[in-house]
Amino acid sequence: MSSHALPGTGRRRFVTIGFRVGTYLSLLMIMGPVVWLLAGIVVRAVPHFSWSVLTHPTTGESGGLENAIIGTLLLMAGVLVLAGGIGILAGLHLAEYAKPRKNGKESGSLLRIASDVLSGFPSIVLGYVGYVALVLGLHWNFSLLAAWIILSVMVIPYIAKSTETALRQVPTAYREGAEALGMPPGYALRKVTLKTAAPGIVTGLLLALAIAGGETAPLIYTAGAFADSPVSMSLTHHPVPYLTFLVYGFYTLPENASHYLAYDAGLVLVVLVLVLLVAARLVVNRTQKHSEARRG
Amino acid sequence: MTLGEQPRPVRPTVVSTTPSKPEIDPILEALDPDRSRPADVVNSQGLTLSFGNKRILSDIHIAFRRGTITALIGPTGCGKSTFLRTINRMNDKVSGFRHEGDVTLEGESIWAPRQDLLSLRRRVGMLFQRPNPFPMSIRDNVVAGVKAHQIAKGKQLDVVAEERLRQVGLWDAVKDRLKDSPFRLSGGQQQLLCLARALAVGPEVLLLDEPTSALDPISTELVEGLLRQLTPALTLIIVTHNLGQARRASDNTMFLYEGQLVEHGPTEELFERPKEARTERYVTGRMG
Repeated sequence: MSSHALPGTGRRRFVTIGFRVGTYLSLLMIMGPVVWLLAGIVVRAVPHFSWSVLTHPTTGESGGLENAIIGTLLLMAGVLVLAGGIGILAGLHLAEYAKPRKNGKESGSLLRIASDVLSGFPSIVLGYVGYVALVLGLHWNFSLLAAWIILSVMVIPYIAKSTETALRQVPTAYREGAEALGMPPGYALRKVTLKTAAPGIVTGLLLALAIAGGETAPLIYTAGAFADSPVSMSLTHHPVPYLTFLVYGFYTLPENASHYLAYDAGLVLVVLVLVLLVAARLVVNRTQKHSEARRG
Repeated sequence: MTLGEQPRPVRPTVVSTTPSKPEIDPILEALDPDRSRPADVVNSQGLTLSFGNKRILSDIHIAFRRGTITALIGPTGCGKSTFLRTINRMNDKVSGFRHEGDVTLEGESIWAPRQDLLSLRRRVGMLFQRPNPFPMSIRDNVVAGVKAHQIAKGKQLDVVAEERLRQVGLWDAVKDRLKDSPFRLSGGQQQLLCLARALAVGPEVLLLDEPTSALDPISTELVEGLLRQLTPALTLIIVTHNLGQARRASDNTMFLYEGQLVEHGPTEELFERPKEARTERYVTGRMG
């Protein structure tokens, strides 16, 4: 290159640096709170942590977390089945079957709008709907089933959206290749399309589970707000204990023992979500051994 | 003259311009497994095709002789790929698809109600412009169609995989990494893998949509050489932008221009003595 400065070089350099600084700042905005929150929980929970917390149920305003951990796991398992099933099927419908009609109009838009509107409802509103319709209306009382349904309604739009997006990102070349080989559509969907979209679908499902596990407001109205209730496998008429209520409810109690328990509950939740993340990554990696993205 | 009038070569060669009837051994002819079948495998009878109000192909009449290679040439947007994708009905789902006239495979309309779409596509294979292996192991790629059509299972699949990989000359390169990802192969190898996959389900016709345009010259030569070996068992129709390739690799050539079949005939004749002015302008490079 010649030694002459190109016109606008100074301005370009300024813009480049500006953008670079901007991206680092946004990175900081995301990383900062995560580190701060994690550190806050670990620092407050670990010094008082004893393993017996995991094996003893909550009694009164202290004790352990056994019943709350099992309750939270139960809630998440139900959401995985109920919301996972419906959400993935809805996403599949939007991406694969609600194709533009012959007249060129987009079909499935009603489902898409309904799903988007549903995802915009505040969770406390959903919780209250569950309280009025299920807990009182159907006389289920505070119960596992009411909590499952309301949590599922909350995260289904999320799962449907992430599933649809993942499926739409499957390269047309794969679909056409399968089509041109004369693969039956269902077979091609299972062996080629879904397999390729699996990481996106699993990630969406996982985030939805994490959201469900971290919810408090809708659960207070549907699962109940009793930290020391025993875990019951009956679907109705028994309140469910869960970790987030301990975080929310025990932090404001006067005793130190209650505060410790609240921090322990927070720590257990964080570890739970981390375990979920790692497990899902491992599963996804196994299925993506032959993916195009991993050609290296 | 239609392609059907061209003498049927026992083993077609590129320079088959002399229209004299070749000597055919009567015993060999009696042994020909295809003798009772129509000589024209694919026959387009006045095919007119539109997407919505846009007409893509107008009244295409052409027959494809069994065991020949036909090059489909023409400028971008002339309807080459659309014509090709009609033969295995890949266009049917495009919005606004309408057609008049007919295309037959072995004498039967490809749109006949009793025609099963999936077995039609098994009989009419396709190779795409860009190699498109599936995200599964190399071996699973070769037998993907075989599994879907339940042609073979279990240990037989390994036999099929080896046989087809040998057929495309890829076996020695991949035999030790059959379980590896296909995306670690070179572009040319990936295309050969896709060819093996297409051949594995035993098609009668192979449609090739610019199969070498994304490949380097050496891979291109390799693929071209392979295509010749596939005849006369298969009938090949190959869309190409590469006129040299059309000349080298095909018995017959058809020239499409703005959705119309301007001219078709033996490749040598069409390139050396084109009857239409537009054909001449195109094959001499004065029209792109």
